[in-house]
Amino acid sequence: MLIGDWITVIVSAVLIGYLFHTLWSHQHAAKVQIRLGNKIYATYSLNQQRTVHVHGPLGDAEIHIAQGKVRFARSPCRNQYCVHQGWLSHTGQVAICLPNQVSLELIGEKKPYDSLNY
Amino acid sequence: MRKWLFSLSFIAILAAGAFIFSTYSREPLYHRQSYIFGTLVDISIYGEPDARASLLTNQIFSDFQQLHDQLHAWKPASSTQPSELGALNAAFARGRQPVAISPRLAAMLNDATALSVRSQGMFNPAIGQLIGLWGFQRDEFSAVDINDGSIRKLVNARPQMTDIVIKGNTAYSSNPSVKLDLGGYAKGYALDRAAEYLRRQGVKNALVNIGGNIIALGRHGDTPWRVGIQHPRKPAAIATLALDDGWAIGTSGDYQRYFMLNGKRYCHIIDPATGYPVQHTQAVTVLIPPQANAGVLSDVASKPIFISSAGNKAKAASMLGVQYFMVIDQQSSIMLTAAMARKLEWLDSDVKNKTHVKLVTLP
Repeated sequence: MLIGDWITVIVSAVLIGYLFHTLWSHQHAAKVQIRLGNKIYATYSLNQQRTVHVHGPLGDAEIHIAQGKVRFARSPCRNQYCVHQGWLSHTGQVAICLPNQVSLELIGEKKPYDSLNY
Repeated sequence: MRKWLFSLSFIAILAAGAFIFSTYSREPLYHRQSYIFGTLVDISIYGEPDARASLLTNQIFSDFQQLHDQLHAWKPASSTQPSELGALNAAFARGRQPVAISPRLAAMLNDATALSVRSQGMFNPAIGQLIGLWGFQRDEFSAVDINDGSIRKLVNARPQMTDIVIKGNTAYSSNPSVKLDLGGYAKGYALDRAAEYLRRQGVKNALVNIGGNIIALGRHGDTPWRVGIQHPRKPAAIATLALDDGWAIGTSGDYQRYFMLNGKRYCHIIDPATGYPVQHTQAVTVLIPPQANAGVLSDVASKPIFISSAGNKAKAASMLGVQYFMVIDQQSSIMLTAAMARKLEWLDSDVKNKTHVKLVTLP
């Protein structure tokens, strides 16, 4: 084989390894699913910089998506448990604002679990 | 140049194959959520057509909503009518005059009383007045003025489940300080009802989660249902476990319903003996093997363990026959039974590497 073949093989192997790690591993989530009440409000890719406003029963919740992670930045609820949860970045992580009925769940290729006990 | 083209098309074919595989392998999993019992209810049904799963879920949600309206400790069912529990509490406060109750509520109260006796009063749904005094009978919690005198008075009045006398379809309380709050029972009861309903309807595989309390039917396809256990101080799961057919799991924690006052955390789990919120424990998780009231036990059994001091937790667990439990105390040290340890797969890297974490396995 020529040196070019070797380069192709090695580059492909590294690329496949990298893609496998980022897309198949359950460590880092790919998307955030935002729910409002009983409905799925929207699903966004985490690979972007974006602010989302969701109008719950109490008012406007502000959700920040920032390159692989997401958080409640502002919420009209009293206790602010949802805001205090901070940044979420792994598949399966959830932040729920019960008073305002808005929830975030991180979804990816492989969920480490089906449901969360809390 | 030809070789390059060949390699590139080979990679392209692989990528296309992977893409097609991922689109066609969508599994028959139906999933829905709703806000009932003041919390999030989450139902997964595996292996049923979506239309049927949707009808079954609607039925469960409406049943839960009815239970919620019947058992609400502080909200009336409508503007003119109190909840059944509210009406009963009003009658208890008035005196010993028996009032009519539904067979369903009578059965629940008898069961809750038996569990309260077995836990030596540590599970005590009769302390509704204390729970109200601490401000936890509201949709959102804020710090309250702690009135030691009122607390002492309520503790000394000794409201207990055994004060309630149920005869036929009537009930009264021999102690006017009894005020029922089924917050530590109703969600578990609802889990058992949902599981029984789904089984009767021939559903083989489902996972029902009410505010973190979960019961499993069957499996998620080829593998058991997997459940994550929330870390009490991090926005992530601390561990996962397989929840097999008929098993239920429940956690009592100080991180879902609490308020902070002068840097101290006051959670909704109140020790009936002292009248004060428990402050030595962050979370207690119990895992209940298949039995008729697995859901109820997953809700109830964590409370006595949570309330007991470190040295008495194992004894409290044995009162309700709990063999699988995990305790995370205020220092974030973990104590769990060997049986529970065998079930868990740790996710939290601090626990995995045993850094900053003390892990004690009970025999």
